[in-house]
Amino acid sequence: MLTRTRTVAEMTLREITRRRGVLLILLLMPLAFYLTRRGDHLGQSVRFVCLGLGWALSTAALFTGTASRALEPRLRLTGYATHQLLLGRLAALWLLGLVLSAPYLLLIRLDQPDVGHGAVALSMALMVAVAAPFGLAVAALLPRDMEGTLVLLTVVGTQMTLDPSDPVARLLPFWFSRELSTYAVDDVSVDHLSRGLAHGLGSALLLLAVAAALAAARLRRRPHLRFV
Amino acid sequence: MNQDRWLAVLAGELDRRGIAAEHAAPVVAEAATHLRESGEAPLRAFGPPEEYAAAVAEGLGPARWAEETRAPAGGIRLDARGIGKGYGRRRVLHNVDLTVRAGQVAAVVGANGCGKSTFLGICAGLVGADHGRVRVRGTIGYCPQYHGTVDFLRPDEHFVLVGAGRGLPRDRARAAGLAAAAELDWDGATRTQARHLSGGTRQKLNLVMAGLGEPDVLLLDEPYQGFDRGSYLDFWQQVWRWRDAGRAIVIVTHLLNQLDRVDTVLDLTPKEAVPC
Repeated sequence: MLTRTRTVAEMTLREITRRRGVLLILLLMPLAFYLTRRGDHLGQSVRFVCLGLGWALSTAALFTGTASRALEPRLRLTGYATHQLLLGRLAALWLLGLVLSAPYLLLIRLDQPDVGHGAVALSMALMVAVAAPFGLAVAALLPRDMEGTLVLLTVVGTQMTLDPSDPVARLLPFWFSRELSTYAVDDVSVDHLSRGLAHGLGSALLLLAVAAALAAARLRRRPHLRFV
Repeated sequence: MNQDRWLAVLAGELDRRGIAAEHAAPVVAEAATHLRESGEAPLRAFGPPEEYAAAVAEGLGPARWAEETRAPAGGIRLDARGIGKGYGRRRVLHNVDLTVRAGQVAAVVGANGCGKSTFLGICAGLVGADHGRVRVRGTIGYCPQYHGTVDFLRPDEHFVLVGAGRGLPRDRARAAGLAAAAELDWDGATRTQARHLSGGTRQKLNLVMAGLGEPDVLLLDEPYQGFDRGSYLDFWQQVWRWRDAGRAIVIVTHLLNQLDRVDTVLDLTPKEAVPC
């Protein structure tokens, strides 16, 4: 039922928006990423702001997923289906991600009028699509905040430091942002756009599948219990 | 405290302790007569009404419940057979059976660490069993010993969240939650977030969440953690109301003074002398 999904989304948003300190850090984290590379190459600052958004949103998803671990089995008992819980949380996180992205898109539009803003918007949208299920998947795998945070740090740190042309870099979930940023900033072929789009969509779908599979396993009805 | 207030509190406390009206009314009337004739202050004559009510309840003993008219138990709601569970080499539950019918209360007792919460989790399907099966007729409401609430949500938002799962519209869920909270002598309309509630109040929220939507089987894992004496009595009153409404209730408890009023006691203390 859509009402249940909507209720989970609403309560997730209420919960996140009441963590004002966390919200402020989430909002400022991409700015710090942007400013650190502002003086270098334009493409780097655009790519870094996208990575900052990805890190901020996946961290928010991680904390949301961890906080709901004790509650979700109970909600399953009250009648929620696993997909309603997952989609509700994802919808809230995606909405939050889009709201977080908007000021940065505006900033780039004002600060860098010559880049392809459509490609930047696409990169941010894909980043939001990928980061939310990524954070939820990590939360499902690692029950404690600290371990999950370290994993996110490792992934984003590796993504930043690894040479983007290295094949291993493509195995990381945020690689597409480099391709899309390059397309947005430099005069390059449309291949970058295609590769970035394919990688971003593929990452989003794969991580959605992983998050769904982990949620289904964790919230499954045990076979010894039967309702008659 | 003036005389009328003292008598009102006494009547409320007697009711909290489940003392039947035919026993409570004469006690209050006698106290009122004494106070009127003696002119003494009630606190001086009888002490605090809570303590006087407790003394009256103790004096009446089980007889205070003897006149209860209970509907006969209904069909089987929960049937657990041959439940076994171990963690590594440690065997926690071995061949445990429990059957609870509609309108019955079962207590699960035993020493710390002997598997009471594990057994309840198995009954709820939250914990896997190594052996055995559980059959449930109807819906389950589960109240955990700890956690189970969302730190940054207010109580009424919890009611809406759980209510949506039960198929209740928002207003009905909120109204049902507030009414159930009032039964526990708590104002659920507070705008305080769950993280700022006291331990006992948070457990009241947990309990209200478990009962929302009138589930057929209630599984309560020591739900009175942090309750004061009055809240503890309110809790048992709520249990009797659920029972009289035909629910099947399983309560993990280590407080033995209510066991004479439950229908079934499942003692999970291991038979052998080895403490678990």
